[in-house]
Amino acid sequence: MKAALLHRIVTLVIVALVAVTVAAQEKNERKVTPVKPATNKVLTPPKGTDEEVIQRYLSGDSAQARAKEVKDSLARIYPHYPKLTELSLGFNFGDAVFMAFGQKYSSFDLSATLNMWNRFQPVVVMGLGRAKETPQDMNFTYTGKLSPYFKLGANYNFLFKNEPRYQLYAGVRLGYSSFKYDITNVDINNPYWGEYGINYEMRDVSSNALWGEFLLGLKVGIISNLALGWEVKFHGIFKEKKIDSGKPWYISGYGARNGKWAFGISLYYTIPLNRNHWPVKDEKMKPKNK
Amino acid sequence: MVALSVTAALVSCSNDNCMGNSSGIPLAAFLNEGAKVTMQNLTVYGIGAPNDSAIIRNASAGQVYLPLRITAHSCQYVLDYNSDDVENDTITFNYDIIPYFESRECGAMYNFKITSWEFTQNEIDSVTVLNQLITNSDVVTINIHMQ
Repeated sequence: MKAALLHRIVTLVIVALVAVTVAAQEKNERKVTPVKPATNKVLTPPKGTDEEVIQRYLSGDSAQARAKEVKDSLARIYPHYPKLTELSLGFNFGDAVFMAFGQKYSSFDLSATLNMWNRFQPVVVMGLGRAKETPQDMNFTYTGKLSPYFKLGANYNFLFKNEPRYQLYAGVRLGYSSFKYDITNVDINNPYWGEYGINYEMRDVSSNALWGEFLLGLKVGIISNLALGWEVKFHGIFKEKKIDSGKPWYISGYGARNGKWAFGISLYYTIPLNRNHWPVKDEKMKPKNK
Repeated sequence: MVALSVTAALVSCSNDNCMGNSSGIPLAAFLNEGAKVTMQNLTVYGIGAPNDSAIIRNASAGQVYLPLRITAHSCQYVLDYNSDDVENDTITFNYDIIPYFESRECGAMYNFKITSWEFTQNEIDSVTVLNQLITNSDVVTINIHMQ
């Protein structure tokens, strides 16, 4: 009996010791709270010299200095350009080039583009267009009289993180033109009735058209404030005046009605705005002593 | 060089094909009791056409082009059935002539707007103008209903 009682007491003591040991281990275990990684914090050194950074910490609130450090780092990753970054005045002379390849119409326009935040760019275009064509083996001469056209639209610059000097953009335009054209030297034969060389002409036929364009453009600074740009446009007519005598072949500012694609080459003169608010590309901002 | 080649290719690109006739020509179909019929031994000619030329002569035809004059606002066609039993019929069209520019590829032409028409009723029952505006579309615009 005594031996059994002793065995029971020893067992209870051992169990109690094990329980206390386990409890003590759990109590001393280090708890780790998951921390959300802040990958875009302090990816690059803060703005200013080392002395300036240290001075910011020493002279005031370290939290404020830390916030400034983060802001500077993010600003370096996503440079913020001012609302009014620059104004570009353009001259589209592409058709002068295309006429050298046989194109029978031309339009030349002036554009004003306001670059906002180096991303969004409202555009206004005003130009003049004309055409003259006497196709071989055809029975007419088409003359599109010099007529004005207007376009409104906007671009989105995909390279907004880079300098405005280099831009790759997509854009939309809404164009309108009111124009006149002549169809002359018309020569018609009606063999069955023996009617040959019947002539007529249509002069000052008045029309108008509203059209839309999607475009992709590239703009590259060449020297000083001058830049060269190329645009590829896909366009379609939304609405035009209905005329009993047919549809115009050439629409000022749009081009030949049967063409879905158009190209532009422009020379730009750019006026920087709020230059002192542009992100600074500064050698001293690079990491030091690393 | 690549840019110049692309430019040249695009400038020369045109996909607008010209289909159909030159000026508008009415296409007339023959019907009998609402169904299309083929006329046998038929001769069709315009009154005043040079050298008495015929559109068709002693031929079988289910439909026939009837070109309109462009120096007058009226023209007449004779349907000669080449039969001793049946008299010829005459159809007269009065119309306006409309100068029309189709496209750069198809050129300038005339369309016509038929304002009125008359016909004899020896073998013809009636003549229906389906569309008074005659363009160069290759579709039937006149039905000639035979008795």
